Amino acid sequence: MSKRQLAMVMDLNKCIGCQTCTVACKTQWTNRNGREYMYWNNVETYPGTGYPKNWMELGGGFDAAGDLQPGVIPNLEADYGVPWDYNYESLMGGAADSQHFHPNVSPTWGPNWDEDQGAGAFPQDNYFFYLPRICNHCTNPGCLSACPRDAIFKREEDGVVLVDLDRCQGYRYCIAGCPYKKIYFNPKISKSEKCILCFPRIEQGLPPACAQQCVGRIRFVGFLDDEESQVHKLVHKYKVALGLRSDYGTQPNVYYIPPTESPAKFDAEGKIIEGSTRLPVEELEKLFGPAVHDAIKTLKAEMKKRKETGVSELMDLLIAYQHSDMFRLDNNYYQQVAREHKRNPLAPVDTRYVAGKFTKAGGHH
Amino acid sequence: MKKILTSLLSLGLAASAALAADAPVNAVKVSDDLSAITADSALWSKAKFSTVTLYPQTAIHMNDKKANEANSADKAKKAEVAALHNGKTIALMVKWADGTKNVQGLYSSDTYSDGFAVQFAGTTKKAGPLPYIGMGSDGRPVIVHLQKATASVYEPNGNKDVSTQINRQQTGIFGQELKDYDAKVASLAKTDYERVFVGEGFRSLTEIKDGSVASAAGMTYGVGGWNATLARPLSDAYMSSTGTVPVAIAVWDGDKLGRNGLKNLSSWVAVNLEGMKPDAKIVAEATEESKGNAEKGKAAVDANGCAGCHQITANDAPSFMGPSLANVGGYSTAAYLRESIVKPSAVIVPGYNRNAHSNTPWYNIEKGKRVSAMTDFGFLDKKTVDDIVAYLKTLKAEVE
Repeated sequence: MSKRQLAMVMDLNKCIGCQTCTVACKTQWTNRNGREYMYWNNVETYPGTGYPKNWMELGGGFDAAGDLQPGVIPNLEADYGVPWDYNYESLMGGAADSQHFHPNVSPTWGPNWDEDQGAGAFPQDNYFFYLPRICNHCTNPGCLSACPRDAIFKREEDGVVLVDLDRCQGYRYCIAGCPYKKIYFNPKISKSEKCILCFPRIEQGLPPACAQQCVGRIRFVGFLDDEESQVHKLVHKYKVALGLRSDYGTQPNVYYIPPTESPAKFDAEGKIIEGSTRLPVEELEKLFGPAVHDAIKTLKAEMKKRKETGVSELMDLLIAYQHSDMFRLDNNYYQQVAREHKRNPLAPVDTRYVAGKFTKAGGHH
Repeated sequence: MKKILTSLLSLGLAASAALAADAPVNAVKVSDDLSAITADSALWSKAKFSTVTLYPQTAIHMNDKKANEANSADKAKKAEVAALHNGKTIALMVKWADGTKNVQGLYSSDTYSDGFAVQFAGTTKKAGPLPYIGMGSDGRPVIVHLQKATASVYEPNGNKDVSTQINRQQTGIFGQELKDYDAKVASLAKTDYERVFVGEGFRSLTEIKDGSVASAAGMTYGVGGWNATLARPLSDAYMSSTGTVPVAIAVWDGDKLGRNGLKNLSSWVAVNLEGMKPDAKIVAEATEESKGNAEKGKAAVDANGCAGCHQITANDAPSFMGPSLANVGGYSTAAYLRESIVKPSAVIVPGYNRNAHSNTPWYNIEKGKRVSAMTDFGFLDKKTVDDIVAYLKTLKAEVE
């Protein structure tokens, strides 16, 4: 367990599924070098297959006794989807008909293949909501437990889970061990890679790219032990932000405000059924556990209170009048950590092995 | 497995000769340079091949469901091993059957390559048996040379070639310029996946990237199998050789999703260097058969409750706390088995599911050092220990 823990809270009532976070992450980290197929941040439609396909059924995580469960490593074509591209050169003119503009592979699957499908019958009771997902930077990471090489570590200073690419040899047991399938294999360099919570940005006091770019202002970032932080208030004070599939036993540190608002159902004549709601609470319980009932109760009560009295700290927090009010990241903290450890404030890897503990000629770099 | 075991026990000690450890390999002395030898070299016609048995790693259980299914048969393999030396360099050739050629470097998330590794014992200041077969142990380092079968791999890390990391579609160039860019990227691709590691125990394996080990390894796929070669100095900063070099060999089958823990490995094999005096201690350790009585050993294993923490044979239900012993007789020396019984903390091997049962860990930390959760059986008399070792030496899979 790390000394401090960074956390992210995502307000699902506000997510509009625009994928701006996905693009922010992709252009920053995963559009090159064998990472093309990876989405460290993705937004999936729930209910749906998710990304990678049916990730909730692929094993990993821990059982009640604390045993790491076996898992399955998704297939690039069938489960992630091959990233396809187009022959842009044909647009420059002169191409014969046979070389007209077309994708370079015939895609059979991809992220968001089932976007906006959801469940239920249209128009009576169909429903869905968006579920943005990044690495959960778990307190008890399945990927870390599964690695037989000690190549995955959790940073003491903020709990960010990282892969030491120097130690990783591409065995992929981490992918089987992660119940969220949020660690990926880079076939070009034969190593595993994952969301790094934009730690180079975090260390400069900036929120991760996905949170900074979020147009719906759904993402809060801060330290869980910082009582002034928005994440502390949402997770610990009001208890309205809950981990995703906590039953996997990894203690995730990305929290979600469950969606409380959904339209009413229609009857056979297309008339509104008063008092009905399309979103089955059982689905929310499956994702966020039994605590979701209290969380919804608190959210509804505070909403009512705000309507009636105009005062609610929780509602003000969730409205997020100022984008900057969603983050509490003090870069002086990281300067202090660097000084304490006598290291470069932007040291990208754990230094345990960098000195080459067992190598003879001056260590490797 | 069960069949072998029953027949062995009925035959008692008479069977031990049939299950003897692999005989030493004789390294033929040549005067040629061996530092860059490949499988095609004519020098190999002078070499003498010996059979080495490679047992499936079943001490610990990995967490990949599909791979575990693919490897459930748990059969041992035979490899043919030959060696050459010139007083400075040792060269080994390993041949083994593999019906499918699997290479890495493809754009795929769930395929694995064939590969092989040769492990050497590092210089140690600690007296005692050879290092633990699985990545050495504290104070007893091993050097591991790994070669995987590869297609071209573009690995930009470390070369500062940032400009070629951009996707071709994002370069903003077309036509000839783009073709030139593709060619440049292709030229930077590495076609070899050869690694050298040094380790002092499970989890500690560290890649040697500073050039302090000279080696040349290669793999050639022929009719139904691989011919793999490795050349390295007999002595360097990490090891020094006498007249006998202990080596251990591992092979991986990509078709069975093999990597890391999913492999077939040998016990320590003695390689005697022609023209030099064999190191009697190493030869004895690599070839020792326990003098004990396997049948009495089995009774002692039952009486001492070993099955409480260990899976004993492949037919027993897995026990999560200690490593499985189902193939321990195949890849362990008698000296290691003896040491593990009387000094369990000398080498701490993870439990079968090393992430299991946080309430019953396979080690405890005392004064900053890992101490095995296993009971110290130092109180057993020497004869009983010999009997147990004799029984454990019978625990190994059939050859496929």
